[in-house]
Formats: sequence, structure tokens, C-alpha cells
Amino acid sequence: MQGFSNMKSVMRLLQFTDSTFPVGAFSFSNGLETASFEGIVDDASTLESFARAQAHQAAFSDGVAAILTHRAFLKSDYSQCIDLDKYLIMFKMNAEARMMITRMGKKLAELGVKLFDNPMIESWLKDIKENKTPGTYPIAQGMVFAAAGIDEKSLFCSHQYGIINMVLSAALRCVKVSHYDTQVILEKLSNEVETLYSEASQMTKEDMNAFYPELDILASLHEKGNMRMFMN
Amino acid sequence: MIEQKKEKTIAPPVDFSTAREMSRYLTEPEAMYVGAPGKHGYLRLGFELDKSGKSILRDLDRRHPLIVQQELYFDEGMPEMPCVYILSSGGPNVDGDRYRQDFTVRKDAFAHIATGAATKLAEMRYNYSGLIQNIVLEENAYLEFLPEPVIPCRHTRFISDTRLCVDKTATVVYAEIFMGGRKYYKDGELFEYDILSVCCHGERPDGEQLFREKFIIDPKIEHPRNLGVMGNFDIFANVIVMTPQESAEKIYDKTPVFIDRKNNLAAGITKLPGNAGVLYKVLGIETGPVKKLVREFAGIVRQTVKNKPLPPDFPWR
Repeated sequence: MQGFSNMKSVMRLLQFTDSTFPVGAFSFSNGLETASFEGIVDDASTLESFARAQAHQAAFSDGVAAILTHRAFLKSDYSQCIDLDKYLIMFKMNAEARMMITRMGKKLAELGVKLFDNPMIESWLKDIKENKTPGTYPIAQGMVFAAAGIDEKSLFCSHQYGIINMVLSAALRCVKVSHYDTQVILEKLSNEVETLYSEASQMTKEDMNAFYPELDILASLHEKGNMRMFMN
Repeated sequence: MIEQKKEKTIAPPVDFSTAREMSRYLTEPEAMYVGAPGKHGYLRLGFELDKSGKSILRDLDRRHPLIVQQELYFDEGMPEMPCVYILSSGGPNVDGDRYRQDFTVRKDAFAHIATGAATKLAEMRYNYSGLIQNIVLEENAYLEFLPEPVIPCRHTRFISDTRLCVDKTATVVYAEIFMGGRKYYKDGELFEYDILSVCCHGERPDGEQLFREKFIIDPKIEHPRNLGVMGNFDIFANVIVMTPQESAEKIYDKTPVFIDRKNNLAAGITKLPGNAGVLYKVLGIETGPVKKLVREFAGIVRQTVKNKPLPPDFPWR
């Protein structure tokens, strides 16, 4: 019985992490489009650094928010989930990043309602539609993964995989790299996830932090520019 | 002439006990203890309109090493603007220093605050240096806070927390410039500090929270040289502008964004959460060009909000 329940959660983990899971991850490049245009990312080595920066940036903001939401959801503390949602959007300085996490968050909330009969996710989707809460993706991940019986570490892995894979998938369309290159980068960055988790899992919402001004400036160039293969 | 208020208050505490990132640096310094006289600076500045409608520094209280004498009216683009330079008699911020700065700009008043020289953060071995700031702007108030850069040294530990409580009709330009270190000292000293933890959060007078930006730079965890962090750049400027949405849109449209490889400069702008205003970031290699860009940006804000120009900085600054 234990084995079956574990297999079910692994299947769900694969489902939610798959790049075809319909939350729209393929529409975003996380600034890679501009980094490629500006010549900052032009090969496998610079792509690896760029993907690492994105993964680290997300770990101590989105990753922390997702973990804390997962814990709050398991305690049925809905107001804490809302509080984290509002807190995270305040922390997102970049307008396109806010657009990305709220679009993906709402889609995941809709999927969560369809997949699980859970009153907290239903209330959350209702609150998003009524503009009572922003509806960010990391909060959706925390809630839906908890509802699916997926543990916190797996959630963090899925969150990191999502960010890295978003950048690497976009790279295949706008940087001169091969599928082999991107898989090697994914393997290298996967080795760093445990260290990031050990730090992120001890952080409170007040500890969330990010210092990536070069990424911020790239995002700004995309926001004000007219490159539009990707939405960010 | 209206007399300046000089009510002495006990310098409020500067408490960073909940800051997880500083928990490694809590040893009491062997020299002067944390909070000793001269190591707990306090500055309270209050600007308001006098009966004739002139914006004046009405309220002033200070504890050494922070020094402010009086406001001066030297801004040629806005001669009615009271300008204040904050000085520190202590030289650099040293191990175990704590600072607190409370600035208030009352209804319709305006002011310009800067520092007289760069803020040097000394080498620290036991503790850290901390700064808490409360900046309050009432209806239609206007404040430019354009201090000189912060220069961290080897093994500097610094934390700051800045609260911007700004009415929705008011405008604040809050700038910070961080150098990578004493770049030309000895063989060059860049990113050799232990930690810089900088948090700035914005809210409305009714308590509505709008945004919170926190960055922790710990070169042992994520080196600033990494791509996406500062890459090849040495200096970083962060300018928060809280302003009504209409002005924010204009400032956003007027501000150029670019990455200039030839001159080693990059600048970006985005809109703050909560329709609070805009956020401008600059990366550069030398201080001069970064300061110039920050000042030009502040000039765009002044022109948009006050319809007055911001003259170039004095040549000796």
C-alpha cells in the first residue's frame, strides 16, 4: 500500500514537472532572449552560468515561498497561504516576472481544482478571480503539491527543475547549443539543488532575498524593447 | 524667523536580532561595545513649510557621530529647495556601529538630502554595522535622497533596513550606490567583504504594504562576478522612486535602458509592485559615470514631478 501511494505521488510529480503540463512555461525565457541578443549568453558555458543564476535567484524567493505554502497547506492554514501570496508579489520587482508568475499561478490553480477535490484550492482560485489575492505560481505549486501528497523536497526539486528547464528549453530556440549541451547543464545544476534546499528550507518569508542586477537589467531591456519570441 | 525644534529624544534602538544572515557576526567587539557613546548614531530631520510657504528644516536632532548643521539653499535648478548634507565625525562605520535615521517631509514640503562624502564601511572582525532608516512623506511632499556611494572594505559586514512610508500623492527618490570595494587600494580590493544585507520596503500611511526588496550579497555563497549578478561590473546603483502612477508612467517612458559594452555601463528600469512607482538600476566600472546616470535619472524625476531641472553635481563631488 505504501509502495502504491508512493508510486502515485511520483507519477503526479512527473506530471506536474513535465514541460507539457499546461501552465504555459514554454512562453517564457526568463530574460534569456535578451541575454542572447546582447551576446551575454552565446555558448554552453555562458548558458550554464545564466541558468545557474536563474535557479539560485528563484531558490531563495519562489522556492522559499513554495516550501512555506506547502507547510501552511498541510496545516490547513489558508490565511497563511494568502499572506505568502501577497508577500511574494511584493518581492517581485520586475513587472514581467510578476506577469509570468501570476499567469502560471492561475493556470495551475485551475488545474488543481480540476484534478483534486480540495476546498482550499477552490477558495484560492475564487479569490484570484475576484482579485483578492495575486495568485502566484510558487504558492500554487505549494498548495497543489501538498494536495497531491507530494513531499516538500520533491516540490523544491520540481520548482528548480521548472526554472532550469524553462531556460534550457528557450535556449534551444535562441542560443547556439545542442540538446546534449542542455542535458549536461541540467545534470550539473541538478547536483546543486540539495545545497540550495538545505538553505531555503530554513528561511522565513522575511529572509527571502535576491541580488541579480544584471538579470534585472536584462529583464528591463526585454520589458521596454520589442523582442517578442518570449513573453519575458 | 521660526526657531528650529531641538527636542532631544533617546536614540531609538537599532535591532537586527531577527536577521538570520547576521547571526554569525554577534561577538562583542573587544574595543568599544555595541551601542557605546559615539557608536550609536541618530539623526532626525523634519522638513515642513513655514508660514510664508518656504520649505525649511524645522526639526533636527542628532547623536554623534552623525552631524547635520542646517539646511542650505544652493540648488540653482530649484533655489527654494532646502539641501542637507549628512556628515559623520567618526570616519568610517566601524565594527559594532549602529545607526538610525528618521526623515519626515510634511505636507507640500520638499527637501534634498545627501552625504558629504562616501560612506566607508571599515574592516570588521567581531560584529557588524547596522543602519535603520524611516523615511516618511506626507501629502504632496517631495524628497530627493542622493547620498555618495557606500564603499565596503575587506571583511565588512553591513545590514540596513529602510522603510519608505509615502503618501500616494508624494514622491521620493531614494538612491543607493554600492562599490565593490576599495578598488585601487594596494593591489585592488573587490568583493572581499563578508556580507552586505540591504532591505528597502515601501508602504502607504494606512499601513498598506507595497513592495519589499531585499538583497544579501555574500561573496562566499554567490560571487558578485557571476553572470547575472554583476558580471564584469564593479559598481551597482539602486534607485527607488515612489511616485503617483501618472508620474511613474512618464518617468518610465523617458528613461533610457541599455547595455553599453564600449563604455561599460548598463541601466534598466521597471515598475514597482503595488503601483508604487519605478525602480532604476545601474551597473558600471567607475564611480563617476554611475553617479552621473543616477543624477540624470533623478533629474528626470524632478522635471516630471516638479517641472524644475536638477543641475549637474558640483565638480568637486
